[in-house]
Amino acid sequence: MSGFAIEVENLVKVYAPRGREPVRAVDGLSFEVKRGTIFGLLGPNGAGKTTTLKVLNTLLTPTGGSARVMGHDVVAAPVAVRRSISVVLQETATELFLSVRDNLLTFARFYGIPSELARRRAAEVMEKFQLTAESPNKVQDLSGGFRRRVQVAKIFMVETPVVFLDEFSTGMDPILKRAVMDLLREEALRGRTIVLTTQILSEAEELCDDILIINRGRQVARGDLHALKLLSQGVHEITITFEAIPSGLETELARLGALRVHIQQNTVEFAWKGEESLVLARVTELAKLGRVLRVEVGGASLEDVFIELMQKS
Amino acid sequence: MSAISAVLYREAKIRATNATFIFWDLFYPLCYMLVFGVGINAALGAPLSAPGVDYNAFFLAGVLAMASFGIASNTAWSFFMDRDNGIFYEMLTYPMSRSQYLFGKVLFNMFVTLLQAVITVGVARLLLHVPMRSDRWPLFLLAVAAGTVGWFFFYAIFALRMRRNDSFNAVTSIFYFVFLFVSSMFYPLEPLPRWFRLAALANPVTWQVDVLRYASIGLVSPQRVAAESAAFLLFTVISFALAIRALRQQ
Repeated sequence: MSGFAIEVENLVKVYAPRGREPVRAVDGLSFEVKRGTIFGLLGPNGAGKTTTLKVLNTLLTPTGGSARVMGHDVVAAPVAVRRSISVVLQETATELFLSVRDNLLTFARFYGIPSELARRRAAEVMEKFQLTAESPNKVQDLSGGFRRRVQVAKIFMVETPVVFLDEFSTGMDPILKRAVMDLLREEALRGRTIVLTTQILSEAEELCDDILIINRGRQVARGDLHALKLLSQGVHEITITFEAIPSGLETELARLGALRVHIQQNTVEFAWKGEESLVLARVTELAKLGRVLRVEVGGASLEDVFIELMQKS
Repeated sequence: MSAISAVLYREAKIRATNATFIFWDLFYPLCYMLVFGVGINAALGAPLSAPGVDYNAFFLAGVLAMASFGIASNTAWSFFMDRDNGIFYEMLTYPMSRSQYLFGKVLFNMFVTLLQAVITVGVARLLLHVPMRSDRWPLFLLAVAAGTVGWFFFYAIFALRMRRNDSFNAVTSIFYFVFLFVSSMFYPLEPLPRWFRLAALANPVTWQVDVLRYASIGLVSPQRVAAESAAFLLFTVISFALAIRALRQQ
């Protein structure tokens, strides 16, 4: 068996709705994912992320190419693939009429977890996800955020070697999100391969060992965070806090060629592309407009890389 | 096998959360017999299709076929409920084949129809003195179970292909009307117009009812029952193949 949890070769998925032009959602995508890594599949809306995930989850049959999960072909051996994976879909998916505890136990049963072990795990998982108090309550009586917790908690009931998470943090509060991210890191350290898609690039930046950026079903960039940031060399993230936002700031930022300007209260955040030696000069020019309390200059973020790559593609 | 039992367990768990559902599932054919059957029996006041066969005895097979038909359509409707809850697509990623999923789903309801049949026959014998051939019990129960499975696969084709549950409800209403009334469920076919009789003989409901009637009171010839059993088996196999195809195209 190869050292890859996932192998995708020249994958193509064409949707052909009746009476409409066929859509090439995935267009010749090839990549591998090493075992025990956290892999991020990023891209704008309609890039083909969810379609790729659905092919890997055996929910969709590819039009061309091949995809293997833990060495099993998604078309030829779908049940073997399903035995190797657990999936958190983009949409909330729970058994509404069952209690939180029964949701976890029922899920475990599908994976052949013995009852006693399942009960023990359910107690641990509910503790980790702060669901213990809700244990006997039916999921239909819980809020959307709690339902999402139940959905994500299920993957910790089983030990499938590969976990797919499609926008897993939707509806989660920041504290729980952080806790889940820690748990995912632990799972990866234990050898599970985590494949996630997200629109929240800071999440991917923090979690992923390996990132694939796609657009219109094709690869745009691939590598770890460091390698991707090299693609956006010369982009600087600048944050300036003024005593009060000066008038004419936006005009001046536009003149300087600032990218992605974000002004909140008395702080302006923007990206600027140019020689590193000129960054200070640009900050000084802006500082002439008003009293500056704080300045922060950093390298490009994943978001900068992402936006630049999308503009190019 | 464990995958089928997991689906069965899930169906049972969900059903167990609704006591009204369980009660109605188990007792509705009996209630139907006690109200509709008794009413028609009294109104007709005479043997219906053979000497010594009153309407209650005649209707027993019909009411249990109706129950199979109803439970099958409810089970197929639960695909819409699963879709609304989002769990449908997640379940398709669970470690099981599409056929295990379909079998698991119908198996629980098959057990319900068997229990329903035993209760209905037991109470009907006790209260209405409906005769029942004890030597044909296995065939009777087999026909009840096969009916539920066959009709579930048939309904699943539509439930899986349709995206709107109101469209599915409209289709089931039409099916109820056509399949139940153009059949031997409520009345013997012999006195009916030829076109009606021919249409009823081509209806899988008639095939199931005839087998049940043969097993319960001995009406219908063994040759016809054998042919109708084979036809129902074919209907089930074709429906299963089409349902699996629809499920794979989700």
